[in-house]
Amino acid sequence: MKVEIVLHRDGQTEVVEYDYQKREPREKPMALDVLLQAQATSMPDLAFRYGCRARNCGVCTIDINDKPRIACRARVRDGDKLSPCATLPVLSDLVVRRDGIARQMQGRLPSGGGGNDLNVEAPDAYHDLTACIECYACLDNCPMHARNFGDALPETVAPEDMPDASAGYRWGNPFSLLKLQRIRLDPVTSVADKAAALENALELGLDACVDCPGCKCGVGIDLKGQVVKELLDATDLTS
Amino acid sequence: MTIETEWRDYDVVVVGSGGSGSIAAHAAAESGARVLVVSKDPIGCSDTKISEGAVTVREVGDDSDTQAGLSENLQMAGGDLPLPSITDAFAEDSKVSYDTFRAHGLRPPINAAGDKPQAMPLPMGGHTKRRSVGHANNGVAFGHAGWQAVIQNAQIDYIEDAWFLELITDEDGAAKKVVGGLIYDASGGKLIAVRAPSVVIAAGGLSTLYFPKTDTMRGNTGDAYAVAARAGADLVDMEQVQFLPFCLASPPSYEGLLCGEPSTASFLGVLRDKDGKVILDGVYLRTRAECSSAIMRAVEDGRGSPNGGAYLDMTENMKPPLSGPYFYRFLETSLPSALKNARQALGKKAGKVEEAWEVRPGAHYMMGGIRVDAHGASVSGNGDGDRSRGIDGLFAAGQAMGGVFGANRLGSTSLTEASVFGNRSGRASAEAARNRKSGSDDALFASSIDTIMKRFGQSGSVAAATLKVQLQKQSWECIGPVRTADRLAKIDELLEGWTQQLDDVAIPAYTTWNQAFIEFEELRNMLDTAKAVAIAAKERDASLGGHVRLDKGYISAFSQPYSTVVRHEANAGWQVQRAARERTPLQRIVSYKIQDAWRKAQAKALRLMPMSVKDKILEKRYRAIMGASGAAPQVEPGGVDAAIGEAA
Ligand SMILES: Cc1cc2nc3c(=O)[nH]c(=O)nc-3n(C[C@H](O)[C@H](O)[C@H](O)COP(=O)(O)OP(=O)(O)OC[C@H]3O[C@@H](n4cnc5c(N)ncnc54)[C@H](O)[C@@H]3O)c2cc1C
Ligand code: SF4
Ligand code: SF4
Ligand code: FES
Repeated sequence: MKVEIVLHRDGQTEVVEYDYQKREPREKPMALDVLLQAQATSMPDLAFRYGCRARNCGVCTIDINDKPRIACRARVRDGDKLSPCATLPVLSDLVVRRDGIARQMQGRLPSGGGGNDLNVEAPDAYHDLTACIECYACLDNCPMHARNFGDALPETVAPEDMPDASAGYRWGNPFSLLKLQRIRLDPVTSVADKAAALENALELGLDACVDCPGCKCGVGIDLKGQVVKELLDATDLTS
Repeated sequence: MTIETEWRDYDVVVVGSGGSGSIAAHAAAESGARVLVVSKDPIGCSDTKISEGAVTVREVGDDSDTQAGLSENLQMAGGDLPLPSITDAFAEDSKVSYDTFRAHGLRPPINAAGDKPQAMPLPMGGHTKRRSVGHANNGVAFGHAGWQAVIQNAQIDYIEDAWFLELITDEDGAAKKVVGGLIYDASGGKLIAVRAPSVVIAAGGLSTLYFPKTDTMRGNTGDAYAVAARAGADLVDMEQVQFLPFCLASPPSYEGLLCGEPSTASFLGVLRDKDGKVILDGVYLRTRAECSSAIMRAVEDGRGSPNGGAYLDMTENMKPPLSGPYFYRFLETSLPSALKNARQALGKKAGKVEEAWEVRPGAHYMMGGIRVDAHGASVSGNGDGDRSRGIDGLFAAGQAMGGVFGANRLGSTSLTEASVFGNRSGRASAEAARNRKSGSDDALFASSIDTIMKRFGQSGSVAAATLKVQLQKQSWECIGPVRTADRLAKIDELLEGWTQQLDDVAIPAYTTWNQAFIEFEELRNMLDTAKAVAIAAKERDASLGGHVRLDKGYISAFSQPYSTVVRHEANAGWQVQRAARERTPLQRIVSYKIQDAWRKAQAKALRLMPMSVKDKILEKRYRAIMGASGAAPQVEPGGVDAAIGEAA
């Protein structure tokens, strides 16, 4: 089975055709199987992320035929193209830089509570959002996130104009909104902190959601209904 | 192109951002320290995040629960290898330290009275009280909490995609102290030399030595043990790797993932070889080690299944008309993720238990680790060891540390281990840093920096990734779920050879996310860790807990217990010795043995009964287990309840 792997290394881009050797006659390999075999055989320096091989850790996301997929649970077909997630800057081969997302959340997520205050049940909706494995598949086609890169993809941005990930990206994304909505649903959060969470959503660019067809989650969380709509309804953006 | 070095200063460096690392960082920052978290995976991505999320919290189920009771449960399960001071600390802090996760958003179910988290319905086996709490979304919920503890705190700096490579120490006579460490910042494409008087190693385990025969995260390349050993620290109980007997052997994408535990094989489950012959019956009462060795013995004799395992046949459980449906419900509810894995991997028929499953053992957890005291501080010397003989400023927490579980780990205790010793080591490291500001001599870093710089652009004829695959195969063979004297000798020789090849590994010169360099450093750690496991396994020359010798019997529970201690000395190389441990009073051991023999005799009698009689008895038993809810209590992979034969 032949699969195209797009490599970015040391400033060069190259497309390699890898011939996957099926280990069982009827094997339907996942994208991660292809990458693991390539690394164990003819491409020992191939860079890609993975962790659990079971759709739990959220780090193996790549683009398959230009759509974000969780590599350990995405089957590949003859002729498929594997490339790094287009929504984040590439570091090496299939590895993208992720930390600009998490860093934008610093100072926006209240922690605390103690003693019996913690003995309150969180609503089901809270746990629905906690199912997020932080795979970043939802960055695909998000106009809010694209603002970080001049309303485009990182690959169109010259190195000197690339936003500094280590400072945290200026504009948000479905994942950061999910984190903020989770704070609003948490029974331990104070009234002031709930209000702050909404302020933070606005500051990260919630206005971008008003005319947006909505986002899609890699593990099936209803981002449009349970995150974006809830936040928008709490503001006067849509009235 | 040469890689640049950036210098930084902190009070405490925490290596790892799983449960133990994130809590340690939080505790150190709360104690006033300036903290740097270094994580090779994105913050929070760890075994903690992919776990089943069941955690031990003293007293949640029952007010009569005591510290002494919990501590004794750990001792008994661990074959008296754990240190009493450490199991006491575990028991004492399990409640408060759990609240650190809750302060960062972990929201458990709450009991009816509204004053405690809701305990699971039955005590997990080996625990004499109900004290395990389960969580919606399992480990992912812990992942979010740890992530928030690190991300949110302005007192904590962090770098992800960053490999902690080496501890830097200073020597003053016989005493050694930490002065900092070296880090490869892969996204920044640079080295970071960090001056710090305290380093907390919370870098997880070693199961990647056995990849793909493991259910853990890729990053478990033994970095914790190798880095500590190279700095001269003691490692304890390194032969005690926990293997789960029933992991998937195929298809390739699912290899190593958990599909069952001895207890979920239920009353009529058996193991068969490739010809259908029963190789182990009464599976549900067996220890994990017994099941693993039965499978591996069959493989050894050429009677193994196509992928080097055996068949777990539970179909008899389905046949009796009354109890059959109960069995399936039991399977569905006791270990749901395992049944899901089996269904996805093996297909519909297997998912309905209409056919046997091909299974093979898989590495899950390391019970040994860096030798520490009850505050996570490095110790050395006789018996329980002494902090003044350990490395000053070196701490360990979570899976990286040894001394908590000894020869076996009780159910739902590892997430507690992470929070208890995360908190303790975080506080202790901050205190140590207050007493001894680094003021280190940069020259101490020079030779390590130089060595690492030269690796970028090293020419050679082999790839680290290739050697890694060879090492994984041989680790399975020689220091895996079963071991023999011959194989321990063989791995020694192989390790020697691979270590010599390190200078012949090709590494390109580019500095941003250089995978070849990453593979090289992880290979180096895996080689050192494998060496430590092999040398401890040789010293423990009969079977105990996770260490199974095919060519020897079991160590008697009545003999004097001891731990193995391994260290690497600059001049003398690898050394191993024993540290004496106290034995549980004889009376308690005898009563346990009698109970065990009685249970096995009963199980056998049941199997031999006519179907109709058997069916009625089984129906009753399932009803007793599943109660009104119609669901079985969940078991945690690796927990003692999952292998009743291990219950103390
Ligand atoms: C499938 C599964 C289910 C489980 N279920 C349960 C359960 O229900 N209950 C329970 O109590 N236990 C369970 N366990 C065990 C438990 O999850 C782990 O033992 C525990 O989470 C370990 O926590 P830790 O903080 O020590 O290590 P980890 O959570 O593994 O974190 C290690 C961290 O160190 C980092 N790291 C490693 N090396 C380096 C380096 N050189 N430089 C920088 N960073 C490094 C990694 O990136 C990671 O962030 C389970 C384990 C597995 C695999
Ligand atoms: S709805 Fe908002 S968060 Fe979702 S894709 Fe559109 S802009 Fe992004
Ligand atoms: S919201 Fe969904 S797609 Fe986005 S990071 Fe979380 S799991 Fe992934
Ligand atoms: S490897 Fe963990 S989600 Fe794919």
